[in-house]
Amino acid sequence: MLRYIARRLLLLIPVILGVTLITFTMLYFTPGDPARLTLGEQAGAEQLEQFREIHGLNDGYVVRFVNYIKNAVFHQDLGLSYRNRQPVFAEVASRFPTTLKLAGLGVLVAISIGIPVGIISATKQYSLFDSVSMIFALIGVSMPNFWQGMLMILFFSVYLKWLPSSGFNTFQQMILPALTIGTSTAAVITRMTRSSMLEVIRQDYIRTARAKGQKESKIITRHALGNAMIPIVTVIGLQFGYLLGGAVLTESIFGIPGVGRLMVDAIKQKDYPVVQGGVLFIAVTFSVVNLFIDILYAYLDPRIRSQYK
Amino acid sequence: MKRSWQILALLMVLLLVVTSCSPAPTGDDPAPADPAETEDPADEEEPEEPAEPADEEEELIIAQGADAVSLDPHGQNDQSSSRVRVQMFDTLLMQDKNMEFQPLLATSWEQIDDLTVEFKLREGVKFHNGEDFGAKDVIYSIQRAIASPQAGHIVDMIDGDKLEEVDNLTVRVVTKEPFGPLLAHLSHPAAAITNEKAVTDAGDDIDITPVGTGPYKLKEWARGDYIILERNDDYWGEPAKTKTIRFRAVSENANRTIELETGGVHIAYDILPNDISKVEDNSDLQLFRDKNFSTTYVGFNAQKEPFDNKLVRQAINHAVNMDEIVEAVYYGTGNKASGPLGANVTFANTELEPYEYNPELAKEMLAEAGAEDISLVIWTNDNKIRMDIAEIMQNQLQAVGINATSEVVEWGAYLSQTAAGEHDMFILGWTTVTGDADYGLYALFHSSQFGDAGNRTFYKNERVDELLEIGRTATSVEDREAAYKEAQEIIREDAPWIFTWNGEDLTGASNRVSGFELHPAGHYRLHNVSLGN
Amino acid sequence: MEKKNNTPAPTQQVAQKRNQWKEVWRRLRQNKMAMVGLAILIILALAAIFADVIAPNGFDNQVIKDRFQTPNSTHWFGTDNLGRGVFDRVIHGARVSLSIGIISVSIAIVFGGLLGALAGFYGGRVDNVIMRSMDILLAIPSILLAISIVSALGGGLFNVMLAVGISSIPGYARIVRASVITLKGQEFIEAARAIGANDSRIIMKHIIPNSLAPIIVQGTLGVAGAILSAAGLSFIGLGLSPPNPEWGAMLSGGRDYIRDHMHMTLFPGLMIMATIFALNLLGDGLRDALDPKLKN
Repeated sequence: MLRYIARRLLLLIPVILGVTLITFTMLYFTPGDPARLTLGEQAGAEQLEQFREIHGLNDGYVVRFVNYIKNAVFHQDLGLSYRNRQPVFAEVASRFPTTLKLAGLGVLVAISIGIPVGIISATKQYSLFDSVSMIFALIGVSMPNFWQGMLMILFFSVYLKWLPSSGFNTFQQMILPALTIGTSTAAVITRMTRSSMLEVIRQDYIRTARAKGQKESKIITRHALGNAMIPIVTVIGLQFGYLLGGAVLTESIFGIPGVGRLMVDAIKQKDYPVVQGGVLFIAVTFSVVNLFIDILYAYLDPRIRSQYK
Repeated sequence: MKRSWQILALLMVLLLVVTSCSPAPTGDDPAPADPAETEDPADEEEPEEPAEPADEEEELIIAQGADAVSLDPHGQNDQSSSRVRVQMFDTLLMQDKNMEFQPLLATSWEQIDDLTVEFKLREGVKFHNGEDFGAKDVIYSIQRAIASPQAGHIVDMIDGDKLEEVDNLTVRVVTKEPFGPLLAHLSHPAAAITNEKAVTDAGDDIDITPVGTGPYKLKEWARGDYIILERNDDYWGEPAKTKTIRFRAVSENANRTIELETGGVHIAYDILPNDISKVEDNSDLQLFRDKNFSTTYVGFNAQKEPFDNKLVRQAINHAVNMDEIVEAVYYGTGNKASGPLGANVTFANTELEPYEYNPELAKEMLAEAGAEDISLVIWTNDNKIRMDIAEIMQNQLQAVGINATSEVVEWGAYLSQTAAGEHDMFILGWTTVTGDADYGLYALFHSSQFGDAGNRTFYKNERVDELLEIGRTATSVEDREAAYKEAQEIIREDAPWIFTWNGEDLTGASNRVSGFELHPAGHYRLHNVSLGN
Repeated sequence: MEKKNNTPAPTQQVAQKRNQWKEVWRRLRQNKMAMVGLAILIILALAAIFADVIAPNGFDNQVIKDRFQTPNSTHWFGTDNLGRGVFDRVIHGARVSLSIGIISVSIAIVFGGLLGALAGFYGGRVDNVIMRSMDILLAIPSILLAISIVSALGGGLFNVMLAVGISSIPGYARIVRASVITLKGQEFIEAARAIGANDSRIIMKHIIPNSLAPIIVQGTLGVAGAILSAAGLSFIGLGLSPPNPEWGAMLSGGRDYIRDHMHMTLFPGLMIMATIFALNLLGDGLRDALDPKLKN
């Protein structure tokens, strides 16, 4: 197992290099002058030149890339933001807890809705509950997140005046964003739980258990759910990993200062070091989360575990 | 298979732990765990009852569209940063809302010769770090500003080497050339005074470690989210009325008004024009509105056919129904522009007449210019208001037989392509931050400023060049005024722009707020603002 | 996929395939929900194709004095801030959004499928290189990848399609690779090779048709994802821009007016929802129809 983890961690190196190269190349060829964009329309030619000098923008592609890698590897330095001259790593890392919190809360909401609803739907396949909850799950998948967020603000903040519309510091401020992320993720988890449960319920050992006259509730919780859990946990993990970088739209709507927002702002402002560092950061987190899921997977399923040795 | 239950439980617990750890603020806050800070203002927690412990003064909460980028006085020069910085930093002097110069760190000033102004400095001023303020700080700060890529363009007419400390409280500022609007430039927030020791001590953290002499100092900064300022009890002037101010970044425009209505903030900067009535009709809220120094314009490419023909440019000015645009896009806020400068800018020519909307005349003029079938593209960046303008204008131009289309160009590409003169027409804005005609005209219309420097229309008129130079170098107010008035007349006549709109600041506030005042440059000073009941 | 004959004669194979698709269609037809989805999609597609007939005013017909009308008999979905009919725009928007969905998924399927087939078929180093590059793309959340690509290429219809397409390539590569690997070991491929078919023929004639099922399912759901991504891009101002009636751009344009004129955002939102909903119904139905094992 340890060897497997070590091998997977080693595999991260080419991914990191690849991500760096791709982002770097893409940014290098992106039109627009970072100096002008950072300093604004009113800055003079002298200031622009000075800025380019400071940030090494006059160098060619190869020189800049080599310098970047050199600094990153030997000095653990991802560069400074063009805009506020803060170390990129610190900048991204400072936003990370907020994103983690948002993703965590969202997934928490999703689990507490998705799994019970999915189980009930599966055990009562073709019942009214099943149909209704499946339609709701489909709606949840179909609704664009940002639209749902807008509607929730309209309803809960403007009409009812119950909850604040933006920010992410107090508990009240977290409710709407967590619900926005939570409902769409819940939809995915509900569907997964249901289909996974249905598959397991058809298995022979469940029939055996039924034949032995065990109580249905016990069959579900003891026997079926355990095995059905494997793909569900995987989906939860994947969703969580995705949310760590992909909750861009929810973050925009609710004014949440997370990693996604930072990235979009940086992309728009051509703050390349931040984009570069942010993408790298997200890619690494995402890969680590995926690795974690795979390990969990192995832990849950002895058949898979035996392959890793 | 009980294990999977354990795993799920573990996951949930993990998530709970993750979620309950709050992000640490990244400011230079020595004690982020101070319970008084982590406790949220009662106002946010329970909008119904703002009952606070009597000894704990309520903080004033302000919503603006973006968080500050840098709090280095000579760092990133954006509006959101400036609006926070002016509370912490003083300049030598300032312009009040009527553009009269008022003393701040300088108590008096005197023009010694064409190049030199002497400032007498205020006595007994202390920086936030305890250092005494003196002539050396002025010299250090101005030199630092000149060397800064972000602030340099505001002060680089000053000869940094010739700054002179006459005595500890007297300093002489020398410009490279005679420079009429010097005082206006020294009033700009980018000419703020800081302290050398503070800068050295801050090192790489200078952008998050502001040390000034102003009425507030930084208490906490959770970047991208909020900034908390605290009253500077050693302020040289009258101490600030409110103990703490919190600037919150609320980027979604409509949400700033919503937050104001639900009590999440006390003051909301830059509310949407269509939210005006919501603030005005709400008996708990008040609206502040006043014209600012911003102007929006549609520039031609004056070197490209057929726009190199003055007649064509004038015709297009006549073909555009600006009243309709101001009404549709800006909800009647601000006013339609009659020339290159808004009426509140010093030396603005207020006698200019806006181009009359007259499609028939426009058609005639186009025919006269031999340009009956023009095809043109109006460029805009992805700014919603500009996109709306482009769309309406495109339709209006089609009505006079011009084959107009509009195209949205990504901001970076937009700036470089308009600088390279690849456009037909483009929409941009300009804010005359110093409130002086020089700032609003020279970069935009002088032929030495082609392209990236600001003159993206590539407009060239020798008489205008000459007048703008006179206006810049003359030190007598009368000479400057005469030159600028004439220049504006010519520019209006030559029409390198479709003169579009002069902006208006819209700020909503709770009725409990008193002492708030707008400023046309947009950097509102808050030390007189207090929160009643 | 059932495989009985070791060396099927060409005609026999074609006939069998035809039967197979007939069978799939029969099963699909029995699934009511899938049929509802299909019906919605057909209506949307017809609306997109005949947009000029259904909404003859076009998507950019400004009548400023008529702006902000609530839904009424002339303007079924009301008018927007520039006095354009929301109904007209939403119908023309169907054209934009559907073509983005279909074309970007096609891009992803063609490139992803090709890469996946190569990786799975040749294995070894080819597989390694291709799949490691896919891992790199997969390590970046697709919306973020699409955002970066669009900002590098600039906005506009084709670039958005390309960005959304590229960002979903890895998913298809993985699916195709997996099904190729299972297929590769099967007897009929070995048989084809034995009678001298070359690699490209085997890939084109045997592997690709036989791995179609999972691609069709994934592709149907992928169109939904692509429409959502494109809408998201427009919403944050990096995708299509006005006057283009792409639904996400309409949502973005209406966000400042949501309190007073909710119809400006309601209808494009509903359109996106209906489309994604229908695609999901159809996709689920197709999955069941193509994989008979699952259905009871």
